[in-house]
Amino acid sequence: MSATEQTTRMDSCPVTGHEVDLSATTLKDPTILARPNEFYWTMRHQDPVHYDAGLDMWLVSRYEDLQTVLADPITFSVEKGYAEQYAKGYIEEFKEILERDGGGFFPDAIMTDPPYHTRIRKLMEGAFTAHRVKQLEPEIAKVVAGLVDKFADKGAADGVQDFAVPMTIQIICAQLGLDDYDAASIQRWSLAVTAQIGRMQDREQMRENARVICELQNYLIAQIRDREAKPRDDMLSDLVHARTTDEDNPTLTFKEVVSLARALLIAGNETTATALGNLLYILATRPELARELYDNVDDERYVTRFVEEVLRLEPPVRGLSRMTTREVELGGAVLPKGAHMLNLYASGNDDETVFECPRKFDLQRPNIGRHVAFGGGAHRCVGLALARMEVKVAAREFVKRIKDIALDIPVEEIRYLPTVATRSIERLPLTFAKR
Amino acid sequence: MNTVTVTLVQQDGVEVTIPNAPTGASLMEVAKANAVEGILGECGGACACATCHVYVDPQWQEAVGPPDVLEEMTLDGVSHILRDNSRLGCQILLREELDGLRVAVAPPQ
Repeated sequence: MSATEQTTRMDSCPVTGHEVDLSATTLKDPTILARPNEFYWTMRHQDPVHYDAGLDMWLVSRYEDLQTVLADPITFSVEKGYAEQYAKGYIEEFKEILERDGGGFFPDAIMTDPPYHTRIRKLMEGAFTAHRVKQLEPEIAKVVAGLVDKFADKGAADGVQDFAVPMTIQIICAQLGLDDYDAASIQRWSLAVTAQIGRMQDREQMRENARVICELQNYLIAQIRDREAKPRDDMLSDLVHARTTDEDNPTLTFKEVVSLARALLIAGNETTATALGNLLYILATRPELARELYDNVDDERYVTRFVEEVLRLEPPVRGLSRMTTREVELGGAVLPKGAHMLNLYASGNDDETVFECPRKFDLQRPNIGRHVAFGGGAHRCVGLALARMEVKVAAREFVKRIKDIALDIPVEEIRYLPTVATRSIERLPLTFAKR
Repeated sequence: MNTVTVTLVQQDGVEVTIPNAPTGASLMEVAKANAVEGILGECGGACACATCHVYVDPQWQEAVGPPDVLEEMTLDGVSHILRDNSRLGCQILLREELDGLRVAVAPPQ
């Protein structure tokens, strides 16, 4: 069956008759990773909390079960799930390399459980409120305009490499106060970090990725040392000199600062770039939507809803891991203590019991903000307002300057990064005309 | 620091009255600190997730005031449970004029 046929069948509504053989399939299969929706559909209907032997993980596919997991961060531990996923199979060697050449092994302080997590989380929350992010809007618009102007006259560009990736890097570096950065390095660092939860690297790749992450950490550590001595008006200085509400531990440790700076530079940045790639993919493959967006480009509500529907339909984060801290029943399955799980947010967004005709791009959905592209519960994405703003400004400014956006390769040839964590387009050759 | 009294009516009908809510804090923060059911405040008060959605008692609507554009956009994402008196608890900063404020907790998304 061709990819196009599969897409057409999934787009039908009501969605029926799309079974795949779960026992013969694993999410690790690159063809499933590229076009996962029938696999998700089958799980939701046949085995909603499905044990995937290829990954040795329990996949949580239904919206309702995801909500149960998100509401209970103690039973379903992010800290344990994330640690288990991280550099899976090679963690000891990975740690050794980081400790020897990268200034240390710094576990992600935000990927932890309450109550420790609450202390860290509170510090990050103030940085990205919707109102603070709103003030960045003109600056973000300038970044978008600058990038688009570089290729508008050429009639062709790569939506990911020439736009999505440099855009998010430019914005987060400006926020952090990194003015001497090399965008190509940051992209390499991002891929190396995100590969650690992707489950697709072999030992050689792990060693190369670890070497790249050492480079990243050494860069960040130098920047952090600089802000310790000479604070500036930037987010990195805020982090270095932050005071927490916890009177016994009022400041962040060096390890925590490095891990949070790394998370800000990489984690949010990479997923937002993925979201922007998905936005352009939708504009290129659904020209009627691009035209409608242009006609409504100054309507705040319309554009806001457009962004939400892009995030629901093509969420950048496919799945993140958890681990049970006790035996627990979920969606009809009994998970033992220590069960490693993957929360499939992408499948939750596709759940037809919550979103009618889920593969339809529908701006009239009354519950349009109910999607789980940002996860939920105590770990709901802390950068969500910034991510939304970046996608919104990109959507608006792109269609204001560019029209007739089309794919420059057959849709079947689009490649996705090899990872279970995100669904990220690697390259997106586009043709277009300047407006 | 001054305090005010606020009352939140949960979905199950239980009324939670908080007699010593500090002014300057948001209704969401105060509700979370007092374990009011249905006020999650998942984004931490960033006006970005609508998990602290409340219906302001009509008598208090004028004193509380309407949402701004950013809050309206976030509320629009949950239009299936939106009402004329919908507000996000994180965007209601407590002040002396709101002493006695009464709101109902909106149903879960």
